[in-house]
Amino acid sequence: MSPFAVKTYQDDEAASVTPDDSEAKGATGSGNGTVEAATEETRKVHPHSPSRYKVIKFSKVSKRFILHHERARSFQDIVVSLFGLRTLSRQGVAMPRPSTEEFWALRDANFSIYKGESIGIVGENGSGKSTTLKLISRILEPTSGSVSVRGKVSALLELGTGFHPELTGRENIYLNGSLLGLSRKEMASRYQAVVDFSELAEFIDTPIKHYSSGMVMRLGFAIAINVDPDILLTDEVLAVGDEAFQRKCLEHIAELRKRGVTIVFVSHALEAVRSTCQRAIWLDHGKVIADGPSGEVIDRYLAYENEKHAERLRADHDGTGRGVARPDPLTYDEVNMEQEIDEPLDQNELPPEDRSRAVPDAPGSRWTTGEVAITDVRFIGVEGGETALFKTEEPFTLRIFYKADRRLVKPVFGVALYTENGTQINGPNTRFGGLDIPAIEGTGYVDYHVDKLPLLTGRYDVTVAVTGSEMTDIYDHQHRAYSFAVQPTPGLSERYGLVFIPSEWSFHPGAEATE
Amino acid sequence: MLARARQSINYRDLLYNLVVRDLKVRYKHSVLGFFWSLLNPLLLTAVFSFVFSALLRNNTYPMYNVFFLSALLPWNWCATSVATTLGSIVNNGHLIKKVYFPREMLPVSLVLSNMINYLLSLPALFFFMLVFRPEGVGSPFSATCATACINGHLLLFPILIVTQMLFLLGLGFFVAALNVFFRDTSVLVEVGLNAWFFLTPIIYDAKTVAKEYTNLLYYLNPMASIIANYRDIFYYNDPNSPDPLFMLRTLITSAIIFALGYLFFMRFSRNFGEEV
Repeated sequence: MSPFAVKTYQDDEAASVTPDDSEAKGATGSGNGTVEAATEETRKVHPHSPSRYKVIKFSKVSKRFILHHERARSFQDIVVSLFGLRTLSRQGVAMPRPSTEEFWALRDANFSIYKGESIGIVGENGSGKSTTLKLISRILEPTSGSVSVRGKVSALLELGTGFHPELTGRENIYLNGSLLGLSRKEMASRYQAVVDFSELAEFIDTPIKHYSSGMVMRLGFAIAINVDPDILLTDEVLAVGDEAFQRKCLEHIAELRKRGVTIVFVSHALEAVRSTCQRAIWLDHGKVIADGPSGEVIDRYLAYENEKHAERLRADHDGTGRGVARPDPLTYDEVNMEQEIDEPLDQNELPPEDRSRAVPDAPGSRWTTGEVAITDVRFIGVEGGETALFKTEEPFTLRIFYKADRRLVKPVFGVALYTENGTQINGPNTRFGGLDIPAIEGTGYVDYHVDKLPLLTGRYDVTVAVTGSEMTDIYDHQHRAYSFAVQPTPGLSERYGLVFIPSEWSFHPGAEATE
Repeated sequence: MLARARQSINYRDLLYNLVVRDLKVRYKHSVLGFFWSLLNPLLLTAVFSFVFSALLRNNTYPMYNVFFLSALLPWNWCATSVATTLGSIVNNGHLIKKVYFPREMLPVSLVLSNMINYLLSLPALFFFMLVFRPEGVGSPFSATCATACINGHLLLFPILIVTQMLFLLGLGFFVAALNVFFRDTSVLVEVGLNAWFFLTPIIYDAKTVAKEYTNLLYYLNPMASIIANYRDIFYYNDPNSPDPLFMLRTLITSAIIFALGYLFFMRFSRNFGEEV
């Protein structure tokens, strides 16, 4: 056992995890591949766990935070509360006590994590993910229940924490290493590896305050992964440095995983969780909703999220009767649009605050002349009804309503689909599609129709635009202003990646690769 | 408790690094480096000597320099320790919220780095003991030496260091933890330190205080006893001093304060992660 074990199980409990015991458990649990609400069964015998040696165990863990709306932090309040008095205002009127509110970040959470597992923790904001990480790293103590952790924990929670700006890189490496519990001797043997990994050899004797933030992050990451952790906690910090460095980090993490390091990964990047973790735990309002193979947990989570999203969209529809535009604070106000009709928009002439709005990439931003405008966008589903919720392989229609104040000859309507994190999927338009629109004047609509939507489960954004015949003069461009969701289709089991490509598999035993 | 102690041993290099960091950062940007820590007490000594010897013509204490400095230096250790440990948890909130390590390392490292500073400032005291000797006081090494002598009593110095360290650790634990929950602590301590300076026999001697207050001073203010002990070995040289029983009592008091402060700190340190 590591000398850094900070909390250990009771002896008898640790001893109970014998090979015989675990085999017996494994036998009952093998083949149990379905996701269930975290029952005793799924937790104990997880078919995907590489080892039966528990390194993290949460038993009935609850964590309560008291939210102080008005903090009792002065002695006056303390003295007053000690005597059970109420603070008197100048007029001698009793003032209300500072109100406090409880918030349960975790409620009776039970799960175990085994040695060598990579676990993703998913859930919405405020579901208890970060609290879980902080409980594992002992930054927080549970309000009730017990958290047992075996082995040295290294957290990539915030890189560069604990660096002192006045000290050099070298001094900070030693200081940081000792914060993570390493002796100077242990750190000395890793020093070169840290420097090499961070690629900062020539700056190592420069005070950290002269480093760029990227350099600080690199050094922080290099230390965190070189302390030989038994358990590595990460909290979406992999956006470190340039792409090459990021790849290096991911490779190193993969290598740590091969060496049997347990990795707990908290992320909103669900696809990253899917590809890096075998197992996922879904938390919602502090409760474990599902615990199982990551693909299945994430699908369930996505389905739930999409359902919620769709409900919200439906509610929006009923409320306003208009399209499904997301709340778009970045759209120009009507007032501004009036002026821009006669003079072309020049970003450099805009006051700074307006310029920032005109950033073309910001989701929801709009760029329009006002003469010809897209007034609404509607999604039409399988039965011809309006919806924002589709299934893979279902028909999909995007209806673009326009209004042209003057006659516009040969307009081109364009659409672009984006993933939620901004990757463009396609960008068709009426010209590419061979639709010749002679001219528009007044109102009408244009349909973009897909017979079998190839998109897999997820949320997608839509950009719509109308341009002149050469596609150079833009009349209205609404960037990622609309969105829809895709749910899994029953009977279609593909779920990795972005799109469903109809395909076939065939099997040819006995054949050999010629040549 | 035993597990905690073992864990602290694993983190002893952290303590070392924190102390080194504190000292390095403190002296990194000044040309004079640690000589500043000598200069400050020397200036104060000059001022107080002038006030007492020249302005007030008070000759109760021959070699007032030594009399004053032997109390001022340990007082500075005390005052800087309290002032820095006070914010040691709150100011390191970014660390507390992100990394686990034994939280007591923060106040302990500050008491130790201030102790090193104290030890480094001792040459100033010896300078006055050896050089500024008025006529009639005699050589500091002679058997007839009456004041500011260098003799076997100095061997008791390490015991006093331990005594004061225990006291400062206990106090440091207490104020550091308290400050997390009640930020007014820092304001109160700032005011308190000023008052404490005058309530501690630094510019005067506990023995000259009005009789009815002498014991009160010793009972309520452990620093008074600690400083009286320092004076007994550095300044006075009479048959009754140093009094071993008095030293032992002071040591025990400090040990109790240390234990209480530590327990208080441990009791509340589990909540530091969410309160800082």
